[in-house]
Parts: sequence; structure tokens; C-alpha cells
Amino acid sequence: MSRLLTHLSPLAPDDSGACGVFYELGGITVICDAGGCAGNVCGFDEPRWHEKRSALFSAGLRDMDAILGRDILLVEKLAKITEQIPAEFTAIVGTPVPAVIATDYQALRRMAEKKTGLPCITVETDGTRGYDFGEMLAYSRLFRTFAAEQLPVQSGRLGVIGATPLNTGLTRADGIISALQSEGWESVVCFGMDSGLDALRRASECAHLLVISPSGLKAAEYLHETFGTPNSAGYPVLPEDVTAAAQALSGGRVLIVHQQFAANALRDRMTDCAVNCGTWFMQDERYTQPGDIRLRDEAEFGALVQQYDVVIADRMLRRAAPQFEGVWIDFPHYAVSGSAQW
Amino acid sequence: MDKAYSITAAELAARGFSGLPDELSSAKHMIYSSPATLDYNSPGAKGFGVKRAGLAIPGSVMLLVAPGCCGRNTALLNELGYSERFFYLMLDDTDIVTGRYLKKIPQACAELLGECETPPSAVVICITCVDALLGTDMERVCRSCEDRTGVPTVPAYMYALTREKRLPPMALVRRSVYSLLKPQKRIPAACNLLGFFSALEDGCEIYDLLRSAGIRTVGEIGRCQTFADYQALSKANFNLVLNAESRYAAQDMQERLGIPYIELTRLYRPEKIRNQYRLLGQAIGAALDDAAYYDAVQAKITQFREQFGALRIAVGECLNADSFELALALTEFGCTVPEIYGTVGERNFVFIKKLAEVSPETRIYSNLSPTMLAYERGCALDAVIGNDAVYYHKDLPGIGFQEEAQPFGYRGVMLLLDKLGAAMTERA
Repeated sequence: MSRLLTHLSPLAPDDSGACGVFYELGGITVICDAGGCAGNVCGFDEPRWHEKRSALFSAGLRDMDAILGRDILLVEKLAKITEQIPAEFTAIVGTPVPAVIATDYQALRRMAEKKTGLPCITVETDGTRGYDFGEMLAYSRLFRTFAAEQLPVQSGRLGVIGATPLNTGLTRADGIISALQSEGWESVVCFGMDSGLDALRRASECAHLLVISPSGLKAAEYLHETFGTPNSAGYPVLPEDVTAAAQALSGGRVLIVHQQFAANALRDRMTDCAVNCGTWFMQDERYTQPGDIRLRDEAEFGALVQQYDVVIADRMLRRAAPQFEGVWIDFPHYAVSGSAQW
Repeated sequence: MDKAYSITAAELAARGFSGLPDELSSAKHMIYSSPATLDYNSPGAKGFGVKRAGLAIPGSVMLLVAPGCCGRNTALLNELGYSERFFYLMLDDTDIVTGRYLKKIPQACAELLGECETPPSAVVICITCVDALLGTDMERVCRSCEDRTGVPTVPAYMYALTREKRLPPMALVRRSVYSLLKPQKRIPAACNLLGFFSALEDGCEIYDLLRSAGIRTVGEIGRCQTFADYQALSKANFNLVLNAESRYAAQDMQERLGIPYIELTRLYRPEKIRNQYRLLGQAIGAALDDAAYYDAVQAKITQFREQFGALRIAVGECLNADSFELALALTEFGCTVPEIYGTVGERNFVFIKKLAEVSPETRIYSNLSPTMLAYERGCALDAVIGNDAVYYHKDLPGIGFQEEAQPFGYRGVMLLLDKLGAAMTERA
């Protein structure tokens, strides 16, 4: 049965992805749930929760709120909290509960904006898709809402889209910034990581955009269409130990599993092997090579790895490949193993 | 917002439970998943939430039928040795609006059994808010699974949406874990302790007291190693309910198995513990002689007070106690409790009224209030109790007091003071 997991735990869901994008932008983020989804986000998928404060809350829905569609109650709670906490915008992140009752997010957005006087971004995640889908929606709507002004382009300024813990495992941007400054960029901004809403508003100042996960492509395309900002894909923070282990390989067939741009970046560092990249998440055809794979279920993965001599992937995935006898190099992906210790 | 909301015990008692301020009522504000209290909002993450509790049946496995987001943090339980016992049937967006997945569950059960090295004693099917809204008849689905596989199958309802209902998820799951017990001949000298998923701390005096009353077998689900041990629980002559969340399970056992129950409460005030044992003795027709334990705990309190003086202690809610009853006990021991981080309910409001009499200036905070984002210590403290309080005051001596072995009775007081004393001594 394709949707039955007998070895793996579920991967990071779309609501976690959206929350990760909003986390440092100075808004009030409300997860439209009863409490459990917020617990999953804060307690498992968001390592910054213990490092950096963020106004991220659960709507605390109860059964009758959902059954009777009491959106007004949610909006009143939201208005109350905007009186207590200064914020530049509000965001409402969907979960399975609003999906089941078919919440009208457009109406919710209009009601919230009218009541609070703040811009409201709604993200119709439902907890069934991958984290990158939620990130894509959040990035795209943030830039469309706030990056509207054409500012003078600063020639040495690079904007990075996709810097989230779920994509990189990082909670601070300094590693990404220093890696890119060493490539010659004077000023680097990682949107949503160690930078706030103002940097995002000024996105048109960037001379170039580096997209480090497919979840950032849609936003980058918007900025290109609107301001003409060019973009490219890459991943500047490959773990040194993984890179060294991969580069030491000689001959044989290798499978790299991660988010697409991280896997591609590692492949680019390897010379002596036949390498395919696989991902459980978004795969953009423009960045694939023949033989790359979009993974869909456990059994398929377990059979696939048998064709390879080396697998470079998060070690949690090892559980789904009990027959594999080749070499496994751990390439951690926070969206796979999260806070769990293995 | 520059300050976390709080209210004194005196003000709160004067308002009464019906006048609870909005900031202390989780239904009236957004819920803050304080890093101090993540186990509240994260049922599968820490302690015994629905998922781990459902696996209290020895040899059972769990199938979580839900969107991926509901099972995401279950990987944390792998660290506790549950990795081979969890399976997931992931729902997609069409599933959650049509309910079509219900027909796939028996097949999923059959497939997961094929993955088990040893046949499980039972399959626990855990469902979430989606099924709460769809009104799924999971009892019927479980019967279909049982017909298909021949393995007993029971539901566990992880309905976060109903957390404040008369039967919240943790009460329902307690009924589920005892629901596989079958009627059998009862043994007069046997009883069960219901309430916790792990066993009482080994040194608890209740075992000796029951033995002195002729009870030779004390059953606890947390001590059951095998399914046969579990099945033997239905031989008990009566159940002692040590946590009110087990009342529904006890009522169910009374109806199905004919086992009556007596309710006790976990308390930290020696006089109240003594009174409770006296009433228990009357109920079972035996005089329970607890004098030695009572005297020992009184001596311990005196010694603690002499050694450490009148400590100022903050009390949290992530601990093996009711925050307000514990605060009341500490006040009676001669300590002061300037702050409590707790959830006020109808059940524990009686302690707040008492607290208002003996410690009216105690300030009460709600961990769930968004204003806790701005919490900063506003008073002098010497020590803290509870994992959330430890989180807020990392610079102070403190104990989490949330171990799996459950404290109860006089032994609970002894453990509390021993651990707190050790923390004070270590920090000194």
C-alpha cells in the first residue's frame, strides 16, 4: 500500500514549512489548529523555537468552533493578540481542520485585515503535503505582498531564498553569508533568517537571487518578472564531512537523497562516480539530470537503493532500506529526521 | 505587551471560577506553545500522550491514520524504544474530505502485521481531528480489521479538538487500553491501581498498606510485561483510581467486568494523605496503619525546614502533581510560593481558594497565554519545581519532578523533599 509507512516516520509537512518561512519576519503567525499541529511545529520542526522568540501561536480551535465555522471567533482572538504584541502583519497557516470544513481563506483574510488593520497572509496548507509546498506558498505570498517597490539595485548585494532550518538544518545565517561573501558578494541577505520584513520589502535592491531550495523558485520568478532580478540555483552550505566523504568515492553508482538543490550541489562536487539525485520533495525539471528520481513511497525507495553501491542520505531513511548492503553516508536533512536522535 | 499576565490567588478566588479572566481561559485566546510546556501541545512528544499511552497494552502496535503532520513528531518516541511499534497510514487531501481511506484501514492492518517479527497482541488504531470532524465510527472499522486479521483491534482517539470536553482524549485512551480485558473469575485478594501508564515508585507505602489489609496482588498496567499479565488485571476485586482521568475507564470496567472502584487523589499535604488512607481503609473494611509513614514524613518536613529555611519556591505545571495543591502543601511546610505557572480548572479551583487564605499574594500565570512571550521573573525566588519552572529560571536550583515512576502518598512527599534538598545542596 503506497501510503503505508512501516519503517519511516512522516516527513516534515506543509504547515511546518510555511511557519518556518514566517518565523523571523516580525508577524503574528497563527496555526489554524486545535493545538497538536502547533506542538509538532514548535516541538519538532522548528529548532529556532528554543533560540529565537517568535509570535507563533495555535488558534486553539475546539470541535464546535470547527463544526459551526466560527471564523469570527478566530478573528477576534487574532485582533486581541495584535493589541498585545506589536506586529507588521498576521499570517494564518492551514491544517487538516480547516481543510475538512473547507474554510474560505480569502474571506478569513479579508475579515482579519478589516479587524486588525494589518496585512494578513493566508496559506492553505492542510498537513498532507511536504514542507516545501508550504514554504513555496509562504515565500510567494510574502514577496507579492511586501516586495512591491522598485528600489535602486545595489551591485554587490545577493538575496538568498530558501534559507530555513528544514532546508539547511541551520538556525543562523552566518554560515551561508560567509560562504557567499567568500565568493565575492559584498552584502548577502537570507530572507527570513537573521533578517526581518524590511529586508524582504527591499528585495528589489538585490543584484542577484540565489535560490537554495525549489521552494523558493516561485518567489524568485515573481521578483524576476516584477523587477528583472536574475536568479540561479545553488546550495552553498554543504556539510564538510559529507562533501569530503563523497569526494573520496571513486567509481560505482551513487544515489544522493536530499532536497533537490542540496543534492545537485553535492553531485557537482563529485567527479569519479555515476551519480543520481533523488528527493522526497519538489523536483523541478529544469534542474534534473537523466536518472534523477522523485521518491514517492517506502517500498519504492527500498527497491531503488539496491541498484546503488553508495547512498548519501539522511540516516533515518536507512530504516526503509533493510536489504541494502552498500555504503551509507549520512547526509542529514532536517525535514526528514527533524529533532529526533537516531 | 511588556509583561506576562498574572493574577494573585486572592483576586482569583474572589472572582470565582465563573469569573476566570480571559487570559487564564485557553478557549478565549490564542495558545502559546511555550518552550517550557511543549508536552502540553504536543501529545506525542513527551511523557504519555495518546500515542504512547495507546501502546501501554503489552505487545501491541499502533497504526496512526492521519495526515503526515499529525505523526511528524512521533519519531521522538523512537528514542524510547518504540520504533518497531508505530505504523502510519498517511492521508492525502482527497482522503480527508471524502473519508475514502476508511476502507483501506483493514488492508493496512493486514500489511503491517506482515512487517512484525512477532505477532502483536493488539493493533491500536489512532485517529485524529480529521475523524473527529468526519464523525468516523472507528469501533466499526476496528471490528472490520479484527475480522480481517484475527488480531484484537481498538481505537485511540487523539482528538485535540475535544481536549476540554467531559471526556478528553486522555480519558478516552485510558478506557481504550483497558478495553481488551475480558470478564473472568475475580480474586478477593487482588486489586488494580489505575491512573498512570507507568507504575508507582517502588517505595510507595500504598503497597505495604494494601498488603496489611490482605491484598496480595496489586496490578498496574505499567508493570505488565506480557499480554497475559495484562489480561490478569481483570481478576481484580476492585480498582483504585489514582487519577481522575481514569474514572471513565474504571466506570467501563465496572460495567463490563463487574469490578468496582474507589477514587483517591495524589496529594502532598500529609494530613490530607492520612485522611485519604483512613477513608480507604473504611471502604475496604480494614484499618490501614500509616502512623510510621506519617511520622517519618513530618520529621522530614521539619528537617527540610531546619536545613533550608523558609524557601521561596515557584511551582510549574509540568510535574507529577497538581500545581495548586502542591503550592498549598509547600506553604503548609513553611515555604512561600510567589509564583505558579498552571492551568486553572474547575477541579483544582478548590485549592486556589485555600491558597488565597494562606498565601493571597501568590501570583498565578498561565503557560498558554500569549503574554508569556514577555515573561520575566518579577520576584525573589530560591528554588523552582516543575520542568516549565526550571525552563523559566535556569539560574535557580530546581527539579523537574516529572519522572516516569509515579510519586504517590507520603512517599511522594519524601521524594519531593529529597530531590529538592539535593538540588539546593548541589547548587550551594
